[in-house]
Amino acid sequence: MTDHHLIAQFKEGSMKAMEAIVDRYENRIFTFGLKMCGQLQDAEDITQDTFLNAFRYLNSFREETKLKNWLFKIAATACIRKRRKKKCEPDRELSLESFMNKDGTFETYDIPDWSDDPSDKVLQAEMKAVINNAIKTLPHKYKLVFNLRDTEGFSTKETADILGISIESVKTRLHRARLALREKISHSYSEGKIL
Amino acid sequence: MKEECKKNFERISEYLDGELNHNVCQHIEEHLKTCPECRSCVDALKKTVDLCKKSAREEIPRDMQNRLRSKLMECFGKREPSRESESSLT
Repeated sequence: MTDHHLIAQFKEGSMKAMEAIVDRYENRIFTFGLKMCGQLQDAEDITQDTFLNAFRYLNSFREETKLKNWLFKIAATACIRKRRKKKCEPDRELSLESFMNKDGTFETYDIPDWSDDPSDKVLQAEMKAVINNAIKTLPHKYKLVFNLRDTEGFSTKETADILGISIESVKTRLHRARLALREKISHSYSEGKIL
Repeated sequence: MKEECKKNFERISEYLDGELNHNVCQHIEEHLKTCPECRSCVDALKKTVDLCKKSAREEIPRDMQNRLRSKLMECFGKREPSRESESSLT
């Protein structure tokens, strides 16, 4: 059943439609919350806030955007609000120059390949831990863009709409986030954190 | 760092995402053929993106799933009468 049908049924009072929407999106919203905050408790709060707000306002949702995009807009707002509440330090900027060598050369980075072999579960868990730790260290505004674009697969335009920023800002932040992750993952790899 | 390399360095993500026009892509590809440093830079960034995408998905733990449904039932279980007979979220 399409999201459009589920929304229509929810508006008619169907609890089954609400359940179906939750079933469809809870893992994605949870993943986003976890990647944004790095803590299970925070991810749970983000997930609850997102669905509570979504169903509170779904009756007036006019489907000018996809349900998925709308849910992520609510989730992103919940993440920003949570960060404000925690009174975190202001976001630091990632400058492009910081990823370049001053002597005119590029650093070489060794990045491992992801193993799809089911018998490599330990390796996959190690890689996942390294990647999640690297994502955790990104400044908040870069992390938001990275998670929407590369984890959730939203387009540049969709990400800009969800966050209410320009397409250029999305591109700039995504590129710098990726460069920072490349550096972190490569360092962990060379330190033997991924075998 | 050569000006050409610097210019490409700024656009690698757009290049990987297919967001540059054909002429610019072609220009970058020509440069990559003769510049092993930039080639290695592009490869490492591509591998980073692939790795992050493949390791992305998480599953919400069962207890959190149950608490979410209880909370939603508590808040929305007494809405307008449903047309359906079933109204359980669990």
